[in-house]
Amino acid sequence: MTSQPSLSDKALTPLGQQCLQGLMREWFQFERALGRIPIIQRLQQSQFTLEDYQKLLLNLRQQVIEGSRWITRTASSFDRTFADIRSEVIGHAQEEHRDYEILEQDYINSGGQPEDINNYPRNAGSEALHGFLMYRASQSNPVDMIGAMWMIEGLGEKMANDWAELVEACLTKAFAKSEEHMAQHCTRFMRYHGANDDHHMEKLYKMIDRVCQTDADVQNILRTARVVGRLYALQLEEVDYE
Amino acid sequence: MSVYITSTGHCLPGNPVNNDEIENILGFVHGKPSRLKKKILQSNGIKTRHYAINRDHETLISNSDMAAFAGDDCLQSSMVSKRQLGMLSVATSQGDLVLPGFGSMVQAALKLPDIELNTAHGICSSGMMALKTAYMAVALGEHNNALVVASELASRLFKASRYEATLSNKVDFNAEFLRWMLSDGAGAFLLQNQPVGRCFKIEWIQGFSHADAYPVCMSVGQNDADKTWQDYSTYQEAEAAGALLIRQDVRLLDNIVKLGVDGFLRLLEKGKIQVGEIDHVLCHYSSDYFRGKIFSLMEKAGVAIPEEKWYTNLYERGNTGCASIFIMLDEFAKTQHYSVGDTIICMVPESGRFNNVYMRLTVVES
Repeated sequence: MTSQPSLSDKALTPLGQQCLQGLMREWFQFERALGRIPIIQRLQQSQFTLEDYQKLLLNLRQQVIEGSRWITRTASSFDRTFADIRSEVIGHAQEEHRDYEILEQDYINSGGQPEDINNYPRNAGSEALHGFLMYRASQSNPVDMIGAMWMIEGLGEKMANDWAELVEACLTKAFAKSEEHMAQHCTRFMRYHGANDDHHMEKLYKMIDRVCQTDADVQNILRTARVVGRLYALQLEEVDYE
Repeated sequence: MSVYITSTGHCLPGNPVNNDEIENILGFVHGKPSRLKKKILQSNGIKTRHYAINRDHETLISNSDMAAFAGDDCLQSSMVSKRQLGMLSVATSQGDLVLPGFGSMVQAALKLPDIELNTAHGICSSGMMALKTAYMAVALGEHNNALVVASELASRLFKASRYEATLSNKVDFNAEFLRWMLSDGAGAFLLQNQPVGRCFKIEWIQGFSHADAYPVCMSVGQNDADKTWQDYSTYQEAEAAGALLIRQDVRLLDNIVKLGVDGFLRLLEKGKIQVGEIDHVLCHYSSDYFRGKIFSLMEKAGVAIPEEKWYTNLYERGNTGCASIFIMLDEFAKTQHYSVGDTIICMVPESGRFNNVYMRLTVVES
């Protein structure tokens, strides 16, 4: 009798390894796609304005709110054969489900009006991303959602390690001399999110090994990761189409 | 047709220069010692390097003459005469002249008659571009052989007077960074369509460039986004504005590691290489700092190559840009132990605007 795969297995199985390599490739491809999006190009080339940042937060908020919904839906779609995964995902959802409040406060600290961010609709990319994630999360035992979590967690790391500093540098230029220190009060979502995500990534590594039982599992995880990357990029492209 | 690297050569000008002597040669900017030097040297791990300029900032050997020395060194240990050579393919980041192409100058210095010529332009990866063009020309049967030379004379950019010529009183980090990284040298390979003695068969050369997705990371010719050096009224104005300094946007540098591993994973996926087949890795990482980063990312991806298989002479010969991989394989071939049938992977990541080139070699014997 083969033993039930468990989360504590440290060494990656061959399928887990194959999946991890594929996910890294999907991530690198996604990072390049981000580099082709105008608002991210402006950020990387220090042409980013306060207005750009406010637009970015307005457009990210809906996805952050919906993020907690698709994660909890994912958790509830796992039956008892994946009870260990369900526990992990519930823990993850618990930690993040009110992140959007930090983002809203960042927006207000940057000079935005509360009513503007509260009433801001989902852009076309957020709509597509949310629709896809809720659809996949609703399937029975949606192991492919590990691919979605991989991409979203990777983004958290990227925001904290790359974007937050670039945003602060641009905002410092935009604020009056006396208010320069305010820049760091506007990027708490990006910073905080990344700090947490380190430990989320560790958990993801373990989960990959656990859920990759067949080639089909690997392919499904990679496909979902790719779709999430494409739709997330669409969401960021839409920021400039308003 | 199969293509073999049947001979290698190099030229490293003058005596090795250790870390304490660097500033005596390149000069003290505004008469003051650099505050960054120690930190950057600690991080890149380079102990000695060579410069083609002396402490009076006279150029002792030109870039094209260094290239010619390396070419001659390579041909001398082969049985191919200059008259038999079909093609000369060369690379540099910056020739002695803006025009004509560096290849013309190297051809003249080497006294090669009636040859087909190619010049590849770029930074570290340009040597591999020159090599690939020559490799394809021989593989196609256009030529029986080709000489490939890559040469760099970066030190002229690092003279203290270059920094003093700008209007700014202090040197920013990005403009100073490469001063403690790059040095001079040239390397050469002879390609033939027949193996000669113990030599290296080129299995493939493959590049992946990502300039569409990333900003410029290493450059000469620009200081602000709107103007390049040629857009100023005079070169003097361009220099005063700092547009002629060599710069590295260090914030973007980590991307080179990710892209390097990404390319490696692609080659694995395409079945062009398997980790277990690799006996030697020659990687042009510019700095010891990146060695650690490359190792840990490869380990994460489950494609780690044991440390003892990695060879480099970066720490003794310096980072010579596009010439590095040529100087590295030359010294590897002459000093290291390797056997017939061994697989060698060469990797050349370039941070200019992110181009990574890979090559697979097999050791053969005729």
